[in-house]
Amino acid sequence: MDRPDLKMINRFESFRRSPAFTGFVLFSLVLILNIALQGPDRFFTASNFGLLLEKNTPLILVTMAQAMLMLLGMIDISIGVQLSLVNVIAIMLPQELGVPWPVAWLAGVLAVMTISAVNGFFVAYMRIPSLLSSFAMIYIVKGINVIIMSKPQGTVPEIVWRTYASEIGGVIPVTFVIITVLFLLWIYLKKTTYIKHVYAVGGNERNAYASGINPARVKMKAFLIAGFITGIAGLCLTAMSGAGNPLMGEAYGLKSIAACILGGIALSGGWGTMSCALFGSGFLVMIQSSVYYLFKHLYVWIPGFQVTTYWQNLVSDGIILLGLVATIFTAQTQRAAFKTGLKKQLKGGERLGE
Amino acid sequence: MLEMHGITKRFDAVVALNNASFEVAPGEIRALLGSNGSGKSTLVKVLSGLVNPNAGEIKIDGKSVQIGNAQESRRLGIAVAYQDLSLIQSMSVMDNLVLGLEPKGPLGIVDRKQVEARAREVLGRLKIDCRPEDLVRSLPPSVQSMLEVAKAISLKPRLLLLDEVTASLHHNEVDILFDTLRELKEEGMAIVIVTHRMEEIYKLCDGCTILKSGETVARGKMSEMDLNEIVYHMTGKRPDAAAQGVCQLANIEKEEQVLEVRNLVLLPKVKDISLNAFRGEIIGIGGLEGQGQSEFIRALLGVHKPSSGEIYYNGINARFKSPAQAVKKEIGFVSGDRNKEAVFPIRSVAENLYAGKTTKGNIFGYLGPKQINSFAGRAVEEFNIKAGSLKHPANSLSGGNQQKLVVGRWIALAPKLLLLDDPTKGVDINSRREIHKILKKCTEDGMTVIISSSDNAELLEISDRIYIFYEGKVSAMLAEENRTEEKLVAAMMGLISCDTGGELDG
Repeated sequence: MDRPDLKMINRFESFRRSPAFTGFVLFSLVLILNIALQGPDRFFTASNFGLLLEKNTPLILVTMAQAMLMLLGMIDISIGVQLSLVNVIAIMLPQELGVPWPVAWLAGVLAVMTISAVNGFFVAYMRIPSLLSSFAMIYIVKGINVIIMSKPQGTVPEIVWRTYASEIGGVIPVTFVIITVLFLLWIYLKKTTYIKHVYAVGGNERNAYASGINPARVKMKAFLIAGFITGIAGLCLTAMSGAGNPLMGEAYGLKSIAACILGGIALSGGWGTMSCALFGSGFLVMIQSSVYYLFKHLYVWIPGFQVTTYWQNLVSDGIILLGLVATIFTAQTQRAAFKTGLKKQLKGGERLGE
Repeated sequence: MLEMHGITKRFDAVVALNNASFEVAPGEIRALLGSNGSGKSTLVKVLSGLVNPNAGEIKIDGKSVQIGNAQESRRLGIAVAYQDLSLIQSMSVMDNLVLGLEPKGPLGIVDRKQVEARAREVLGRLKIDCRPEDLVRSLPPSVQSMLEVAKAISLKPRLLLLDEVTASLHHNEVDILFDTLRELKEEGMAIVIVTHRMEEIYKLCDGCTILKSGETVARGKMSEMDLNEIVYHMTGKRPDAAAQGVCQLANIEKEEQVLEVRNLVLLPKVKDISLNAFRGEIIGIGGLEGQGQSEFIRALLGVHKPSSGEIYYNGINARFKSPAQAVKKEIGFVSGDRNKEAVFPIRSVAENLYAGKTTKGNIFGYLGPKQINSFAGRAVEEFNIKAGSLKHPANSLSGGNQQKLVVGRWIALAPKLLLLDDPTKGVDINSRREIHKILKKCTEDGMTVIISSSDNAELLEISDRIYIFYEGKVSAMLAEENRTEEKLVAAMMGLISCDTGGELDG
């Protein structure tokens, strides 16, 4: 069994069966497509990487937060407006009350963690389906956002957005460091008992309970971790845009769910890793970029071809839909998981221990 | 070491445990026995913390304890291997084995090496054929059952509860398991096993406790109790050990045969079932719970796809792909699980009665309230359903009347074959009688009825012939003068079987 070729085959087999495989394939396909359309000479530059990461770090982080919840079979569709909440607090506290900006930014993260905790309380202890709980939360958080900041305004200190967009030593983008740090946090978590319990509760809540695990506490912790990551994502969004806008983050909520599923995380829980979140969000980023370059080529190739950018969105969203169908219906486990997942979203948790 | 007194547990109106008591000593293997619905599973769940009793006292080492949840149960040194498994399918074998008790290093990091070593040790001890890193869902059912036991044993408990774990094991696996249990007994572990296989109890156990309708009716040493006595305490009847069940019918008239099933297999529950049903007959299906009865009935209906075997319905090979197809061919189905499979609880009585009829006719056809109400009115009168009004929701009716509603729904369709899966479970005696009356009247008009029941008296009362299932096979077919409770009980406990005792006779 020590033959190196067998070892390679075994290693490939175990990767093929891992949750991240479908996400990896999808991501690689669009990555190649993007490189071809953009031209390798222009794709492989430090500034291109920097720009890509700078624009998309909020999405990648939000997907990681969503993945944390989806591993337990829960989703939070209010994650988008939570980003806006961070943005609003980080901008308005210094502007209106003269609070130093680092304090305000910390307050933003704490506020989102509080919102997450409330969400977690309703889902874990009141047994309300996470879909409903977070749906209600959208309107609460949106209301708070607009009360604090009624129209887009404000600025971010120059040092912040300059740092955010810079590269360390001219090579490594700061955003890359942020993502890496959070990913290392996951790698640490993955080795702890906590994540084993997450997989157990996500896989089968009743059996996890029978094995002496407290599912409610596991869920609550997941919401707090997701809240923390969402907070960081909100700060990145603020630094990226350099301004305040109470409605800015909304689209991220549903996008992050799509990205998780594209990456291969089961909607029913218990199946997936953070790599899935990275591949899934990477797919979304690459598809948008590819379609942009595709249309650029079309303008050149077809004389007189002139359409609005909405067409680009239509095409990229169509491809995303195909990607979703592909992930759900290629893997048999995913197909079953998707069905039970939908059921779980609509019915909520079962009552245990009576 | 463990004592339980006066344990009572009610689920709504149903009393699962009524003043039950139980005890087991260290270094003892005790069997917990009981017939259908005797409350043995509930007793196990009380000890594992999944069910909280309404009353009673649990003592461990003479000290009174409370078991409020699964964690407390584990802390008290109780480990349970569940019949329906408590494994997480999407996790690896080793993660499952240490779940909830992972060995931790610094910073809360799981010590993978130790996990793997522990897993290998317990896998080796029970000679389970799988790798620690395999996913549970990729393993066959018998291996999963062994893992469930391995998981409980690896907790190193003081009290080990095994709930019907041998049901899906192969013979050699059972031997390995029993050897291990004997070793553990020597080490001083208290072991409780729940099983329906009598020969296993005599092979393994020191003593037994017998439950009947939630009460502890007998306890004693295995050396002092014979099989007849145990079965008597479980069922209230002494088994007819000399019973010779008939297994096949000799003179089959082809024209009158409505249903013929040959060697039906639907793993894991149904292993080999052959059955005939003639026009105007009531066929009873008896046996202990979970011997494949409900899977068999659902296989006929097309809910499950059998892996092999033939089903002939009216002489035509009929393997339905869905219940809708079966209903089109005039088969009706009444489930005992009213809430899940039969009643639409918040819809009206009239709509519930008419629900079956809607499968016929145009999908967008006009359906006036007059049509529904006149139909429902007739049905309510005919089946003597006690409802406040036709407009009241179905869940305002008593359980028995709800069940009549479902039976009435199907009878109105005048099916040729009506399948009933334990229809009178939790139904009061009057409604039960009326359902029997309805069924008998229908068979006079030429309907064929196949009814599975967990109640022996019911089977003996209404069926012309009774097939008794044991471990997914027919252990006896009782007809005419053979239809005695003693014979039924003997077949039910697997004391006789078609493979050995059953002779072909007319």
